[in-house]
Amino acid sequence: MNKPAQRASIPTHGRDPVDDRELVTAAQRGDRDAFKTLFERYHRRAYALALGVIRHPDDAMDVVQEAFIKAHKYLDKFEGNASFYTWLYRIVMNLAIDHLRKHRKVKPVELDENRIEPDGDEPLLPRILGGNPGQALMDKQIRTRIDQALEQLSENHRSVLVMRELEGLSYEDMAQAMSCSKGTIMSRLFHARRNMQKQLLDLLDHPSAELIDDLTGGSAAAANDGADAPAAEPTSRKPATAARSQSR
Amino acid sequence: MSRPTSSPTDLELMEHADGERDDAELAALLERDPDARAKRDAIQQIGELVRGHLELSADAVHDARFAAMWRRVDGQLVSPATSLWSRVAAWFDRYRGHVITGAVSAGAVAALALVLRPGVSDLAGHVDMRPVALRSTPEIDSVDTPGGSSTVINLDDEDGHAAVIWVSAADSDPEAI
Repeated sequence: MNKPAQRASIPTHGRDPVDDRELVTAAQRGDRDAFKTLFERYHRRAYALALGVIRHPDDAMDVVQEAFIKAHKYLDKFEGNASFYTWLYRIVMNLAIDHLRKHRKVKPVELDENRIEPDGDEPLLPRILGGNPGQALMDKQIRTRIDQALEQLSENHRSVLVMRELEGLSYEDMAQAMSCSKGTIMSRLFHARRNMQKQLLDLLDHPSAELIDDLTGGSAAAANDGADAPAAEPTSRKPATAARSQSR
Repeated sequence: MSRPTSSPTDLELMEHADGERDDAELAALLERDPDARAKRDAIQQIGELVRGHLELSADAVHDARFAAMWRRVDGQLVSPATSLWSRVAAWFDRYRGHVITGAVSAGAVAALALVLRPGVSDLAGHVDMRPVALRSTPEIDSVDTPGGSSTVINLDDEDGHAAVIWVSAADSDPEAI
């Protein structure tokens, strides 16, 4: 299968997976420092996954903590066929889904689970958010709107979207992880994306004065150009990718 | 999924954007269709936004919170080398032969103790004395009767075989019997 060049790769932090295996082997022998190194490598990534699915920061922290304890407990079961993180994210994902099930207030109704041809009513829109999503993410209002849009997705739609966008899982892998068919995964992913797009496009079609200021660095003249990338970013702001690489 | 003919469907575009569909014909259609390209780009941009937002959210968590998390994790770790189960498993591996021999011996002793315990040794009380049908009919030719005489009459008919035994005392008066 081809992977589009435009898609940003999942950060690997430039580490050799063999290195992880050595740490796992050492941790299996009881080396706590080795396990701590694994924790330090992957705790934020695991947290991002849990947060994306659960949406509650404290609960996401609890899930990540439990996931690492569980990973250590069953470390002797880890055979090294997959990478340590692949194994860890499955634990995180299972715990996150369990958490949602336990704390579910309303039984979700997925009306579109088996719809494979979603073009009938609401197709995807050929609209994009300016030219640079990294710059858009510097805007607090857009971040808030992304948060709200994720919140409004059903658990299943959100889980699939997060697995796909954050971990880059294939449809087949997601179907296996969620115990459903590949068609169901495609349907969920399509509707999740379409709903996200609807939420975000509303913001762009009717931008507030504050958002225009944010995106244009205060230049009113640029407001007429819509929500494209700002002409001048405040110096304190960094593109998302730069912010990520610096913090890791 | 059918191959694209004039304009790719949204699902085909999504598969292409996700790297699930490597299709030269679809790629050619995309080259000619700016609307389809814009949709594909929009799909990819949603991914960028979601991923970037979640990673920035994770990065925004202060290191101290994860340090505290590690302390809690560390406090609950059971070293694989010292866990109870590991120690039991290691001990069993080392003494496997002794354990199996001991278990078999103990089982045998327990079985004996069960059989020989008071009250169970009175086996006669448990003997089944009901008559059973014999596989072959017994045949009697003669009966030894000291101090008397006997006559054996074997009868065979369609119902089977029967033996009639007549015993009489040697000096008894037949009339008195």
